[in-house]
Amino acid sequence: MTATETRPSSQRSHRHEVRPPGKTPLHKRERPLWMLLPGGVLMLVVIVVPLLVGLYIAMLDLDQYTLRQWFSAPFVGLANFAEAFTDSPLLHSIWISVSLAVLVTAVTVPIGVAAAISTQNRFPGRGLVRSIYLIPYVLPAFVVGTFFRTMLQPQGVVNSVLGTDVLWLNGSASYWALAAVMVWTSWPFVYLLSLAGLQAVDTEVHEAAALDGVTWWAKLRYIIFPYLRGPLSLAVIISILHNINNFTLPFVLFGIPLPSSVEVMPVLTYIASFQSFRFGLSAAMAICSLVIVAIPLFVYLRAVKLDTGDDAGPTRKQRRADRATLTAPAAADIEGARA
Amino acid sequence: MRTRRLTARTVVGAVAVAALTALSLQGCAVVNGSGDDPNTLRVMMGADTTYPEERKQWQQETAAEFERTTGAKIQWETYSSAQEELTAIQTSVISGQGPDVYAIGTTFTPTAYATGAFVEMGADEWDAVGGKDQFDPASLGISGPSASKQIGIPFASRPFVMAVNTELLERAGITELPTTWDELTEDAKATTGGGTYGMAVAYADGFDPWKFVWGMAENAGNTIVADGDTAEIDADAVENAYRTYFDWVTKDGVVDKAAIGWNNAQALAQFADGKAAFFPMTTTTSLNSLKGSAVDGKYEYALLPTVPPGATERPADGIEAASILSGDNLVVADYGTKQDLSFDFVKQVSSPEAQERYFELFGQLPTNTEAADRIADANPDLAPIVAAGKLSKPTAFTGAWSDIQLSLVDVVVQSIPQLKSGEVTDDQLRKRLQDAQRDAQSTLDRQKNGGL
Repeated sequence: MTATETRPSSQRSHRHEVRPPGKTPLHKRERPLWMLLPGGVLMLVVIVVPLLVGLYIAMLDLDQYTLRQWFSAPFVGLANFAEAFTDSPLLHSIWISVSLAVLVTAVTVPIGVAAAISTQNRFPGRGLVRSIYLIPYVLPAFVVGTFFRTMLQPQGVVNSVLGTDVLWLNGSASYWALAAVMVWTSWPFVYLLSLAGLQAVDTEVHEAAALDGVTWWAKLRYIIFPYLRGPLSLAVIISILHNINNFTLPFVLFGIPLPSSVEVMPVLTYIASFQSFRFGLSAAMAICSLVIVAIPLFVYLRAVKLDTGDDAGPTRKQRRADRATLTAPAAADIEGARA
Repeated sequence: MRTRRLTARTVVGAVAVAALTALSLQGCAVVNGSGDDPNTLRVMMGADTTYPEERKQWQQETAAEFERTTGAKIQWETYSSAQEELTAIQTSVISGQGPDVYAIGTTFTPTAYATGAFVEMGADEWDAVGGKDQFDPASLGISGPSASKQIGIPFASRPFVMAVNTELLERAGITELPTTWDELTEDAKATTGGGTYGMAVAYADGFDPWKFVWGMAENAGNTIVADGDTAEIDADAVENAYRTYFDWVTKDGVVDKAAIGWNNAQALAQFADGKAAFFPMTTTTSLNSLKGSAVDGKYEYALLPTVPPGATERPADGIEAASILSGDNLVVADYGTKQDLSFDFVKQVSSPEAQERYFELFGQLPTNTEAADRIADANPDLAPIVAAGKLSKPTAFTGAWSDIQLSLVDVVVQSIPQLKSGEVTDDQLRKRLQDAQRDAQSTLDRQKNGGL
């Protein structure tokens, strides 16, 4: 029986009586929506206005000649967008950025989950191991880029250790070098979210599984992974977004101009702005990037909406079903042993 | 208990508010800088990673002298890369506030001119900095589009030359320095072997490649940009230049294969180790790096060749360009309210004494004629560098140059895999030249105000 159901019937009928037909319920009308005003104004100033200015700039022929009086730069409509798609490497860079983001995320998810599981159980030095795992994540990207740039030199430590003679910072190998460095920097993020997901698993569930004699794989498959589904979905989305927008690593690793195999979107936009002074074109590119990013962002927002409160982890119904699945064979085993 | 908790909360809140206020005020101070202080001049220069201590010392000395003569202070600001320099200038141009004086690279001067944000030097302004005639006329070559429209005040000269390992040349029986690019290649072949290479070249450097190609093309009469609005990259002279440059490592074998991934500092290191006979793209800034190295006392500077590849003498329309006109120009922001102070600063650092001190600390040649003559007299070994300064030629004075330069470097960057595999085919090279030509022409076509 719910709280609503326990409310006296007279009270409920009173509510119905005072509400004018077709109007918003009183309890909704009385909400102090004005309190959202500061946040709304902030969003307007920080997000909406710059976005609109960016849109406007994307329709201007804004360059070094018109920079000073940028508001009176020639209006060119959608010409910058057309140029971005037809006469610039934007499509190529979208492909590079998206493929890198998906590849890196696909590699980092199993690494992050494995790392989280490896530090789930207590053992001496667990805190230290967890801290070490976070080092790649807390190091500034600029520092990471500089380290790897040194190590990936033709006569650097990477070639020495591998016994190879590969040009990691030029040519086609640069794609794989960038992917490897991105993996190194981003797996701890997946690890963190996985760890958070693991913390959400009830102790009773572990105990029940132990009592039932569940194998480690069955425990992973039917208990742990369902709990991780939510956090991992978020990790995947955020990781893809982050990697699509990664500017610092390719910029520091390869410099400008970039080898075409790592011509990623953010650096391309940067070059258009700050090397070629094509601010209108770069704004158009940035807006195209925004659209690309908005796709996983939309999925992300949906995921956040679905993954709140009691919905975190498997649903109650799912848990019951999972427990039934788990306990059935275990109970059968116990029954068999008794017989 | 409730009272204590409230008190604690209040204290925390008060501390937070105080911290926020302090941060905001600090932020305001940073944003405003000395902009509102009429007695402080803001000067922006490139950070010097080679001589950081000397830079600090020079700044202290200069600021002390400036305060003594004008009563005003100097606030130094630095940029660590060309990109940072661009960003700082762009921000200042848009906002109308920022440093009062900038030291910018010579090749960036056309772009700065195109923004229209810097003071055009008239007779009064030149007088205010001590007179135009105090500067070496050659150093004014990239101060503006014409003698009457100049924004750049020459501050330091860094002409490019080649460093030569005299011991290796002697061992190979070479008695005369090469004056043509073909002779350089032959001499490099003669000095290659036994663990040493003929040349130290940085193929992955962000700047060196276009300087080689520009130099060879100029020698053949191709200025990359003709009449200020026509790109000439997809041309025989430029193709020959790239071919020569690529062949050194792919065909002639006079450059270490590892150099395909090197920047200029790495090539310099190879030369400093005594492992290369020629280091053909360096300036006086290498002086200190070579001091105490394996080649100390065994090297000298020489002019870069001025006869194009495939020729024994420069064609009639060829240009005797031994180097790009390289160095730093000072420009004064026209949005600033401290232009008199700015000119005082320029006058101070342009004086013969200040210029000689700058050379002493950083090895960069003066643009002041009197100081340059004194240094040339006192350092006969620098004669080739002084000569290179006189034979320096400016790159095209167009706001599009920055983009064109990038296109020239991109040809090499995209050819790196083929350089590694041992051959850049003619088709591959032509395709890249066509791409660079298209990009450069497109940039030139977008010029406004005649590119300025």
